[in-house]
Amino acid sequence: METDINLDSCFKPSNDVVVREVMGKILIVPLTSGIGDLESDIFTLNESARSIWDRLVKGETVRAVIESLSAEYDNESGEIDRDVTGLLKELVQRRILEKITNV
Amino acid sequence: MSEPQRPHLIKKDSLSISGESLIELIRGVHQKGASLRFLARGISMSPFIKDGDIITVAPAHQSPVSLGDIVAFIHPENGKPVVHRIVEISGSSFVIRGDNLQKADGLIPDSNILGIVTKVERNSRNIYIGLGFEKYLIAALSGRSLLTSPIHALYVIKKTIWRGLEKVFL
Repeated sequence: METDINLDSCFKPSNDVVVREVMGKILIVPLTSGIGDLESDIFTLNESARSIWDRLVKGETVRAVIESLSAEYDNESGEIDRDVTGLLKELVQRRILEKITNV
Repeated sequence: MSEPQRPHLIKKDSLSISGESLIELIRGVHQKGASLRFLARGISMSPFIKDGDIITVAPAHQSPVSLGDIVAFIHPENGKPVVHRIVEISGSSFVIRGDNLQKADGLIPDSNILGIVTKVERNSRNIYIGLGFEKYLIAALSGRSLLTSPIHALYVIKKTIWRGLEKVFL
C-alpha cells in the first residue's frame, strides 16, 4: 500500500472502518472479514492525534493541518510535520484513512 | 503553553460499551453489511448466553428474522440494547423474551430489531445456541417459561397436563 504522504492530499475514513465518537473519544472499529470486533481489534486516538484527525476529516489538506498546528505550537524543529505525517502513514497503512483527492 | 503529547493511535484489546453507544456501533457496522462481535452482559439468556460470553450480531436484513432467533433489539421501555429470543411473531412485530425470564419484553416492532445473534463464544469456544429447526422448539419452551428454573418448568408442565385432563374428563 502506498504510504507516501503528499502534503496537498485530503483524507477520509475508509470504507473498511466504522468511526464513532463514544464518551468524547473517537472509536475506530476496523471491519475485518465482515466483522467489527470490539473484543480484539479497536482503536482510539490520544488527544493530540485527535486534533489532527478532526482537522483531516473536516477535509483539510495535510499541509493545512501542519500549518494550523504550527500556528498553535512551536514547530521550529519540524516536529509537527513528522508527527502529522507519521500518524497519517500509520492510519493509511492500517486502512483507517484513505486519500480522497490530490489537489 | 504546555508541550503537547506525541500523537498516536491506541490499540485496545477489548472495550465494554453499552447503551446508546452500542446501538450506534451496531448500526454503523451493520450499515456496511458487517457483523459486530462484543461482550454480552447479564443472565437473562442463560444458559444459551451467559454473562461474559462474546456474541456476534449480524444485520437483520441479511436473513429474515424468524421464530426462535436470538436478536439484539432496542427495548421500547428504556431505549437500551437487549439480546433476547423471539418467541412469537405477530404481523410485523415480535414477542421477545429472555430465556431465563418469567416475563416477555412485550410486542416489539421490527423497526426496533438491530440484528440476529449468529455466534456465541465462551472461553474461546463456540457455544451451541440452536440455530436450526430446534430453535422453534426452544422458542416454544422459552415462551412457556420452560427454560427458566427446573421447579418453575415442572410447575408449568404440571399445569398444562392438568388443564388437558380437565378438558378430557370434565
